[in-house]
Amino acid sequence: MSLVQDIGLSRTKDAARKPMISRGTLLRWGLALMTLGLCVVPFVLVFAISFGRKIEGAAWVWDFTFENYQRFFVGAMWPNDVTFLYLQQLGYSFWYAVIASCIAVLTALPFTLLLTRLTRRAQAMWLVFILSSLSLSEVFIVMGWDILLSNNSGLPALFKSTGLTQWLKDVGWFQTLRDWGLANPRNVKFKTSDFATILTMSYLVWPYAVILLYPPLSRLDPSLREAARTMGASNWQVIRTVVLPSVRLPLFGTTLLLFVFLLGTYVAVTVFADPSKHTTAVAIYSNVRGANLNAPFGATQAVILLVSASFCLVLGHKLNQWAEKRA
Amino acid sequence: MSGLVLEGVSKSYGSVRAVYPTDLTLADGQLTALLGPSGCGKTTLLRMIAGLEDPSSGALTLRGRDITELPAHKRKFGMVFQSFALFPHLTVLGNVTYSLTISGVGRTEAETKARSLLDLVQLGAFAGRRIGELSGGQRQRVAIARALAQEPEVFLLDEPMSALDAKLREDMQVELRLLQQRLGITTIVVTHDQREAMTMADRIVVMSAGRVEQVGTPQEIYHQPANAFVAGFIGKANFFDAVAGPGGVRAGDVMLETKAEFHPGSAVQVAIRPERAALDHAAEGNTVSSKVTFVRDLGPVREYHLDTPVGVMVVEYAMGENSRTYKVGDTPKLWLPPDALLVFAVDQPHQSLVAAQ
Repeated sequence: MSLVQDIGLSRTKDAARKPMISRGTLLRWGLALMTLGLCVVPFVLVFAISFGRKIEGAAWVWDFTFENYQRFFVGAMWPNDVTFLYLQQLGYSFWYAVIASCIAVLTALPFTLLLTRLTRRAQAMWLVFILSSLSLSEVFIVMGWDILLSNNSGLPALFKSTGLTQWLKDVGWFQTLRDWGLANPRNVKFKTSDFATILTMSYLVWPYAVILLYPPLSRLDPSLREAARTMGASNWQVIRTVVLPSVRLPLFGTTLLLFVFLLGTYVAVTVFADPSKHTTAVAIYSNVRGANLNAPFGATQAVILLVSASFCLVLGHKLNQWAEKRA
Repeated sequence: MSGLVLEGVSKSYGSVRAVYPTDLTLADGQLTALLGPSGCGKTTLLRMIAGLEDPSSGALTLRGRDITELPAHKRKFGMVFQSFALFPHLTVLGNVTYSLTISGVGRTEAETKARSLLDLVQLGAFAGRRIGELSGGQRQRVAIARALAQEPEVFLLDEPMSALDAKLREDMQVELRLLQQRLGITTIVVTHDQREAMTMADRIVVMSAGRVEQVGTPQEIYHQPANAFVAGFIGKANFFDAVAGPGGVRAGDVMLETKAEFHPGSAVQVAIRPERAALDHAAEGNTVSSKVTFVRDLGPVREYHLDTPVGVMVVEYAMGENSRTYKVGDTPKLWLPPDALLVFAVDQPHQSLVAAQ
């Protein structure tokens, strides 16, 4: 047999031994299908349902109508009447999320700065404690704050029993609290209020803020601060002119991440926010599982909330890129 | 004139003594190098001078003014850090104007001054650059210009050359020294590189294990080391053990004349610089037999490694210094001049309190 024939035969045998689909291909296909099944299909379903139609007094049917989107932006009575109720709810979602994420980051920043100056052992202990607090569910945390801020057994009762309420009245600050919606004629009250809502939302994401800020702050070269000190900068000037500008990108990224996370907060808003200031997340629940049972409109609100969050993330990413280019 | 005075300054971290009580007097306008191996406490001492560490004991005075309790930002000491610590979010100009802006100098005035300082360090064309766009040497110059911007009373440099490559380091040592001489500013440089210290310093403070071993000019430190540590740390030296005798030392069967006098019978350590020993010298006495085991030709110098009755020795000749060359296996007579033999008592106590002036 010639050499050419030998090689040809060997190739034929190799081809016969080789499976039609390799393991790598199978794995890739498996992963793709899993991603499709777990991530894409639910979203596509929500998107498809958002074009569905609610049958009054009954369930909903598949359809392809933009009525839900129209209702979200200009109200159900358009063009005869225009209402912005659902846009207002989206606005409250943004308002609470922006304020709460900013407060969480602003309070987590000094804490994390101090944390990075502790010994390695103390840092590890704090981080383990903070990480473990993340295991608490939102429901459990809100329940705790609900008790703490409730009018009969929480801080208001403490204020009254210790005479703090009377003192606030005496010095004239009680009226200011009333103006801010944080007091009734008899005592301070935190439920329902923006204060309680934002406080609880900030508390919910505060550990995340610490965990996200810890790596960039611990990597910050301590000699930068020391150099500023030797050049005449006070502690506050060091933070303002060196620390904050050095970690501005991580600060922005953390705030953005927490903001997007807080857009979907449901329990805290339900418990602490005034019903007239409920957010899109609460409205989605009401439509899907609550009193309204209007799944298509709930799906529409969910899609708009998702698009809004995505828009914010993309905007943040672009801003980040721009800032990095400048640096 | 006595500029900066350290009296009994020490630093402890719990039970660990980083710097033992140290007395130093640094004259105005001089460049002093704190020289020692890693972990000897030289950076801690510098940080105490800068106000970045509180001394555990002792006092610092600057021209008679007690500055021990004065915080770092009120001392007006310019400092260049090992990492340069340049602010990455600012331009070169922004870094140099930083201290001026902080102290309330107007923008125009600050920029004018910063630009003149950048010209001084030959970086005038780089004012608008970001720190990330500079090389190591350029960063060092920016750090120097930045530290000088506030017209510091004392200029501190913590291992300023360690991030630079060998060639650039040599150039910058000379440049920095020339700049310091031109400005006449009291300067303290921390380094573990004895060449760097010898190149730049008016005075060298040699430190080891938190203690000052010797203070002196580079020539004093090199030619009259206070102890075996200094002799070994500064430059090269051949060491051998011996016993003191009348008029010299005995190493095994060899009796060597020395200039130093020790109590006869006490154990001593003898050192000699490689360039001070000679082969087949015409002089009588203080010679030992030797055998060449290795020859290293480094271009400007040639080293002969020798087996001798007192141990392994290295003899060094500069190019053109000795026309005769030796090869492995040759057996020249090794001459150890009496005035070149440095004799140190074994277990010599540390010279912990030394005044620089």
